[in-house]
Amino acid sequence: MAARRLGGSSWQQMSLLSRRWCLQAGSAGKREQNRYSSSSTTLEKTVENSEVTREEIVLPRRKTWDKLAVLQALASTVNRDPTAAHYMFQDDPFLMPRNTANSRLLSLSKESGRSAAKYIIKEFPQYFDKTTSEPNIPCLMPENLTPQIEGVSEAALKERIHLRRVKASVDLFDQLLQAGSPVSLETTNSLLDLLCFYGDGESAQEKQNEQKGDLEEPEENTSEQRSPKRQFQKSLNSSGFRWRENNNAERIFKIMPERNAHSYCTMIRGMVKHGAPAKAYDMYTDLLNERHKADVHTFNALIRAVPYLKEKFAERWALVKDFLNHMVQQEVQPNVLTFNAVLKTLRRCGGVGRGVSLSVIQEMTALDIEPSLATYEHLLHIFYRSVELQPSTIIAEILEEVEKRSFTPQDPDDANFFPTAMQACCDLKDIKLAYRLNKSMEKGDNWKFLDMDRLNAYWSKFFSLLCMMEQIDVVLKWYKEMTPSLFYPSTRSMFDLLQALDAANHLEVIPSVWEDIKQLGFSRKQDLLEELLSLMSREEHPEETQLAFAKCAEDIKAAHEQSGRDQAPLEWTGSALGHVVVLFSRAGRTQDAWNMMEHFQQINRIPTLLLVWPKEALMLPSHVGAPVSIWGTGKGEESSF
Amino acid sequence: MRAAAPAGGAAERDGPLCAGGTMWSRVAAWGGWAGGGGRLAARGCLAARLLTGPPRGRQAAGAVRQERRPRSKIQKLFSTSTVLSTKEDGLTASTDSTTKTASKSQEDSAETPKQKLLNIIGNMKVEVSSKKKFQQLKTHETKKQAMNQLEGLDSKSSTFPKTTEDIQRGKPLNRELVEAASAVASSLPLNKEQTESDLLAQLRRHEETTDKQKKGGTINIRNVISDMTIKRESPAQRGVRISNLISLELEEDGKRIRPERLAPQSSDSRRSLKVGRRLNIFTKTSPDTEKALKTESSPTIWDVEFAKEIAAVTEQPPRNGFEEMIQWTKEGILWEFPIDNEAGMEDDAAFHEHIFLEKHLEDFPKQGPIRHFMELVICGLSKNPYLTVKQKIEHIEWFRKYFEEKEELLQEI
Repeated sequence: MAARRLGGSSWQQMSLLSRRWCLQAGSAGKREQNRYSSSSTTLEKTVENSEVTREEIVLPRRKTWDKLAVLQALASTVNRDPTAAHYMFQDDPFLMPRNTANSRLLSLSKESGRSAAKYIIKEFPQYFDKTTSEPNIPCLMPENLTPQIEGVSEAALKERIHLRRVKASVDLFDQLLQAGSPVSLETTNSLLDLLCFYGDGESAQEKQNEQKGDLEEPEENTSEQRSPKRQFQKSLNSSGFRWRENNNAERIFKIMPERNAHSYCTMIRGMVKHGAPAKAYDMYTDLLNERHKADVHTFNALIRAVPYLKEKFAERWALVKDFLNHMVQQEVQPNVLTFNAVLKTLRRCGGVGRGVSLSVIQEMTALDIEPSLATYEHLLHIFYRSVELQPSTIIAEILEEVEKRSFTPQDPDDANFFPTAMQACCDLKDIKLAYRLNKSMEKGDNWKFLDMDRLNAYWSKFFSLLCMMEQIDVVLKWYKEMTPSLFYPSTRSMFDLLQALDAANHLEVIPSVWEDIKQLGFSRKQDLLEELLSLMSREEHPEETQLAFAKCAEDIKAAHEQSGRDQAPLEWTGSALGHVVVLFSRAGRTQDAWNMMEHFQQINRIPTLLLVWPKEALMLPSHVGAPVSIWGTGKGEESSF
Repeated sequence: MRAAAPAGGAAERDGPLCAGGTMWSRVAAWGGWAGGGGRLAARGCLAARLLTGPPRGRQAAGAVRQERRPRSKIQKLFSTSTVLSTKEDGLTASTDSTTKTASKSQEDSAETPKQKLLNIIGNMKVEVSSKKKFQQLKTHETKKQAMNQLEGLDSKSSTFPKTTEDIQRGKPLNRELVEAASAVASSLPLNKEQTESDLLAQLRRHEETTDKQKKGGTINIRNVISDMTIKRESPAQRGVRISNLISLELEEDGKRIRPERLAPQSSDSRRSLKVGRRLNIFTKTSPDTEKALKTESSPTIWDVEFAKEIAAVTEQPPRNGFEEMIQWTKEGILWEFPIDNEAGMEDDAAFHEHIFLEKHLEDFPKQGPIRHFMELVICGLSKNPYLTVKQKIEHIEWFRKYFEEKEELLQEI
């Protein structure tokens, strides 16, 4: 490949040059003599002449290829393999995850291995001083994170702010103040930015490391692997790093000799982000008193904080409207995030929200602001999460809009659209809508909005809807298509599948479903086993099916008896035992059935009436645990030997 | 554009006013042509007054009153004749008639009979248009319905003119009419209540507009009694009247949107993304001002982190080996495809600039030992992959200077 490409490029050049010669020969015949007298002069002329011809025919000096074009073309030829797990897990077949928990564990451990390596490189950069790669690969080299500028100066402060060293920056700022050298407004503002963004957390260093890690590997750090981490961060933000009274940000804000709009705005944003909405609102009134203008991000933050400021729905909406009117007064142009914030607040405004949200959408269209997926998500939430579901055309209209457009991420909430929409389809029990939604999800790059958690949520919803509404063969087709490669079914999904099988009278598939259940690691879920057993033992089936069922029963029995390294053995329930006995006896495995009967006595369980035929049920002895007598009565009825 | 509902908000008023804008400019131009250049200014003022809100309009009105002069007869005749012709046309040229109405209200007191006429025309127009609507409805229904139901409809359309009279008396709605509407509704196969309420809403709306017209009419009747009254007619009133006329115009276009408050929404099923009022808080700005606002200082940490968050929304792990290679390429770990042996070379020189160095020998003698020597030099240089083009040129340059310095010596030899 390399050689071909090399040859290609040089030949291209050669042919290009020869073409110039031809052109020259055609246009200036006189030079012919010159050309043969000395090769060097001719060449000289040629080069000279090429300038002339370039004016006439624009030949690119070189054809540049997009370095990704070839790979992208190749990548587009590879389809998803429905039988394989995600590519991420294909390092080692032995480690291939079989269920959600495993896949999460694997992706997390992969990621943590990566960050461990990064940590080592960052902590001990002195051991990685050999740059052997040519050309150099910067992303594999340790990043320089230690401040270069020593001493107490504004430049040093700027550098520390740039490196996001929260504590060092604050210390340096204080030193500068003590030394009596004023810090410029701009620098102070960027310090405030830093403090407000991180909420002046003590472990800012820790967080900063994390942040840096993200910076270093924007590609490598996939959202799937990152999402748990991010959630963790979020929870930290909402609980651990709450805005404290008189923290450094407030202190610096107070001692600032002059403040501009930016100082106020960043304080407001920080307060909203770190859970101090009331303070943010006060800060906003201060800003108004100082006759400054807030920027659009600040308004967005304030609008998001409204539900925490007011209790009543109508008051909330009134406050939102106030903010919007202030935006007009301060000549701030709203963006899509503003309206998303409004809708997000309206989600928490009950009936008021339902009434007003459509006007908000109208306002957006009037302003030519294209809604993002988050806009639609909020709408769906407002209209379909209420107690009483009213059939409405809104979801259909939203789907129409979504089908028409392609989306780029604009709002962090965009990712929630597809799961929420599928949930709405599921609540409405509208399979046609669900198919449409699925189609638009698969269109273009829309699938990228689903990270691993959301993917699971989305597909489980879709699958349970399928189980509810579709023919069993269609359900099974989807099941085969989706299960290992797209998502790992939850217990809920397996219940749905079993119910669908039951409804369609396709119980003979149960043994293969049981295999999947084992794979998924649900073989110890009591309720699922119970359901499975009761379905299998409810009716009599042809000989072959009965034998397969008995095998399942044996597996289940084994699952009950084996105790894992760290788990206690599963407790038998009376009904489960009974079902197993029935299944064994129907398959003609009398001895096994007999053995099972003994369990009743061992674990003090009462055989349910399901175990025996109604006639015999009446003859049950009153005292518990008399398997022999039951067996004795059941024998004549059930066994044909 | 949305047809102006009477109780519309600011932006709803915007629409008709815009339409008014074009119309008024037409009128102003026409006035200038008929009455001479001197009148143009006054008319411009009037137009401005009607376009802006009432408070400012009053001042403008004062100005106009001062400037009012005796009218030329020609103009009077002209305008009357056009109105008559419009009437004869069977109200087809609706735009013209409104323009005339507007122009007339501008020429206030003197032509009260004309005004009356125009009001009558306005009312007639309402009738005609609603009849037309009924006609449409009828044809629509005939597609689905059998003939016998047509009869019922016919009877209703005959009752229709009567209702307009009733409406003038201020009754909510004719009972007969309501019955007829429900009859129509029951004759339809689908959604009876819906149809009925639709029909009735339509009728009610019609009634309202008629009422509005009527009010204008009473003022005009007062005009007959005294010229003084018309002077008392406030610009605001006039604006309302005109905007009503204009709104009627717009409704003729068939673009109308059903006013929500007349058809009470019983459930969410009526709700839609497309229909409904906007908040009317923001006004659209031109992209220039937006850009002006956007030119700000360097991105803050907020912007950087937000961009990262957004990017993370659609970040996906590679789904196959090629996508992984794409990722590596982006990170700079993988050698780029298509394989390029110049990868990582900083200077942006092309292959031929490295190889064909003869063009740098122009300042050297064309022949002789120096030339021969220099050709050997560039031959060597063209085979040297370790030097950049710049270095090669510097190398040649060095020789040039060297030989220039030694030129005298060389001449001696």
